[in-house]
Amino acid sequence: MAERSQPSANYSSWPVVSALTIVSLPLLLMYVYLFLDTVTVKQPDALLPSGFTVNHWRFLWQTTAGKANIWQVTVNTLLFSACTTSLVLLVSSMAGYVLSRLNVPARGFFLAGVMVLHAFPSVTLIIAIFIVLQMIGLYNSLIGVILVKAAIDLPLGIWLMKGFYDTVPWEIEMAGVVDGASRFRVWKSLVLPQVKPGIMALGLFSFLSGWGEFILPQVLAPGNDVQVLSVYLAGFLADDNNYDFNMFKAVGLFYLVPVLIAYALFNKYLMNIYGGGSKG
Amino acid sequence: MKSSRRLGLVMIAPAAIMIVLFFLLPVILTAVFSMTNMSTATGISGGVYQIAPNSLIILKSAMPDIAAELAEPRYAIDEAGLKAVEGLGLAHGIAAELRAKHAGEVFPTRREAERMIKDLAERPSTRDVKQISEQFNRSAVNTRFDSKEELFSALDTLGLNLTLEQKEAVAEATYTGWTWTTDNFSRIATSPDMARVLLNTALYVALVLTLFNVGYALLLAIWTHYMPPAPASIFRGIWLLPRITPVVIYVMLWKWLAWDTGFISVLMGKFGYPPKNYLLDTAYNAWFFVVLINGFIGASMGMLVFSSAMKAIPKSQFYASEVDGASRWQQIRYIILPQMRWPILFVTCYQTLSLLASFNETLLATNGGPGNATEVWALAAYHTALRNYAGNLEYGLGAAMALVLVVIGVTLSLLYLRVFNYRTLVAKPLIED
Repeated sequence: MAERSQPSANYSSWPVVSALTIVSLPLLLMYVYLFLDTVTVKQPDALLPSGFTVNHWRFLWQTTAGKANIWQVTVNTLLFSACTTSLVLLVSSMAGYVLSRLNVPARGFFLAGVMVLHAFPSVTLIIAIFIVLQMIGLYNSLIGVILVKAAIDLPLGIWLMKGFYDTVPWEIEMAGVVDGASRFRVWKSLVLPQVKPGIMALGLFSFLSGWGEFILPQVLAPGNDVQVLSVYLAGFLADDNNYDFNMFKAVGLFYLVPVLIAYALFNKYLMNIYGGGSKG
Repeated sequence: MKSSRRLGLVMIAPAAIMIVLFFLLPVILTAVFSMTNMSTATGISGGVYQIAPNSLIILKSAMPDIAAELAEPRYAIDEAGLKAVEGLGLAHGIAAELRAKHAGEVFPTRREAERMIKDLAERPSTRDVKQISEQFNRSAVNTRFDSKEELFSALDTLGLNLTLEQKEAVAEATYTGWTWTTDNFSRIATSPDMARVLLNTALYVALVLTLFNVGYALLLAIWTHYMPPAPASIFRGIWLLPRITPVVIYVMLWKWLAWDTGFISVLMGKFGYPPKNYLLDTAYNAWFFVVLINGFIGASMGMLVFSSAMKAIPKSQFYASEVDGASRWQQIRYIILPQMRWPILFVTCYQTLSLLASFNETLLATNGGPGNATEVWALAAYHTALRNYAGNLEYGLGAAMALVLVVIGVTLSLLYLRVFNYRTLVAKPLIED
C-alpha cells in the first residue's frame, strides 16, 4: 500500500501536507464547530465556547409547537431511505444481470437509454409528477416519493450492477449451466454472491442518497405526517430570523451521525460509486 | 435460446416498468405540459367561462367597443326581475304592466331603463324608479358559465349582438382553464430575464467546472499522490465529507459560516468590521459562495477519478524520471498530466450534465438571490413551476424550461456516448442456452 500510493521518497511531503491543510481549513472548521456548537454555550460575539450544555438537544424530548415530532420524522426518513434502497437493489440487481449476460431484444437500446436517462435533470420529473399527483389527488404520500426516488436512482444502479456482473468470470455460469441448473438458479446462487461488493456499494449509496434527499420530499410530501428530516431541517433554514441556531445545528448533527457512521464503516465500498459519480 | 430470453424479459420487467412509469412518462408529460399555459390561475383540470376584470383587459386591446359593452351593466326586463319587483310591495299595476308591455326588452343604460319605467301608467316616484330599475340590473361580469353555449346565450339575452367571430374571441378571453399554446417557447426565446438566467447558468457551469470539478480536483489528486498513504486517505476522507453530507446540513454549515451572525462576521467583528450577511450581501459575494458551495461537492468525484488514474501509472516511469533528475513539477507536467487526458475528458463531460441539472444547493443557500443574481436555469424552472413568490405557479412555462434542459442533456449524453465509444460496452453474451 505504502509503495503504491507514494511515487517517490526523494521528495519531502510536508509542503503538500501543509498546503492541503490550509485549503481544507474551512471544511474542518465547519464540521468541528458543527459538533462543538451543539454541546456548548457561546456568547454571540465569541469565537470560542464558554461552557458545556445539553440544552440544544432538547428537541429529542420535547416537540416545538407547530413542528413535527422529531422521532416521527426520523422514522419517516428511515422508512423512506430503507424502502428506496430495497427497491433499487432488487430491481437493478436483476436488470443489471440481464443487460450484462442475457440476450434480450433491444439490449443495446436499453443500455444506451439507461445511460441517457441518467443525464436527465430531476427538475423535469418533479414538475411533471407534481402536476400528475395533483390531478389524481395522491399528493402528500410517502409511497409516491419512494417510487419516484427509486426510479431516479435506477439508471445509475442498473449501470453499476452491469459493471459488476461484467467482471464475474463466465466459467462460473458455464459450470452451473453444464451441471443442469437453470439460468435463474445460476444467477441466484452462483452469480449474486460474486457481486456482493457491488450490492454493498449500491445499497449504501442508495441509502445515503435517500437519507439526504431533499427536493423530492419537499415538493411531493411536505405534510407534517410524512415529513422527512431534510424537509424538517429546511423549515428551520428558510426561517431567516433563526432564533436558535445551536439547536438547529444539534438537529443537523443528529441527522448527520448515521451518515458518518455508515461512511466510516464502509467507505471502501462507497468509493466505487463516488468515483464513478453520482449527480451533483 | 428461448429460456434465456424469457428469463431476461421477466427479470428486466420491473426495471422497465418503473423507469417507464416514473421516469419516462414524467418526461413525456413535461413535453405535453410545456405546450399548455397551465398555471395556478388556470388550474390543472378544465376551466369555466367567466368575464373577469383581467379578461376584459385582454379584450380591450383587441375589441375596445365590445369590452366596454361587456363591462357596463345592462337592464333586462326578465322574469326574475319582475318577480323581484312584485316583492317590493309597490303598487300592483307596475309589475303587471312591465310584464305585459316590456318583458324581454333590454336597455343598454340605466337612464333608458328608468325613462321607460317613468312612462308607465302608474307613474312611480323617482325613489321607486331607482328601486325598480335596480331589480333589472344584469351584468355578465363575474358570472361563471360552465360551457361556451351558456356564455353565448347569456350574452344574447343581455342584448349584446355579437358576430360568431366576436363570440369566439370573447370565449377565448374569458376561459379560465388552460389551453394549448406555444407561447412558453417564444417567451423563453425572447424574454430578457431568460437570457439573463441562461448567462448565469453558463457562468455557473463554467466556473464550478474549471475551478473545482476539474482544476481543484486535479490539484487534490496530485497533492494526495505525493503524500504518505495515511495523511492522503485522511485528506481524501475530508474532501468526501461534502458529498456524503445531506445537502440541507451542508448548506446550513455554509450559512453558519457566512451569515450576519455567522463565523466570518464574528471573526471580522474582532477587527472592527460591522457584522453583515456575507452570503447575500452583494451579487459578487453570492456568486463567490455559490461557486464554493457547489465546487466543494464537485471536487470529490474528480479527485477520486484522477487519484485512481494516477495510481494506474506505472511506478517505473516516476523512478526513471527521478534518476534523470526531474523535478516534481516536471513529473507532473510530462508524466501525470498527459496520462490524465481521458479522465479529465470524462469528468468534464459527466459534470457538465450534473451541474446543468443541479440546483438543490443554490436553492437552499441563496434561493437565486440577491435579486436574480444567482438564478440558474434548473432553479428558475423550479421557481417558475413550483415555488413562486408572485403566487402564480406557471406549470406550463416551468415545464418548457425543464424541457430545454432535457434536450440539452440528451444531446450532450448522446455525444458523449460517441466519444467514449459506446460499442465496446455492448459485447454479445457468451452463453446462449
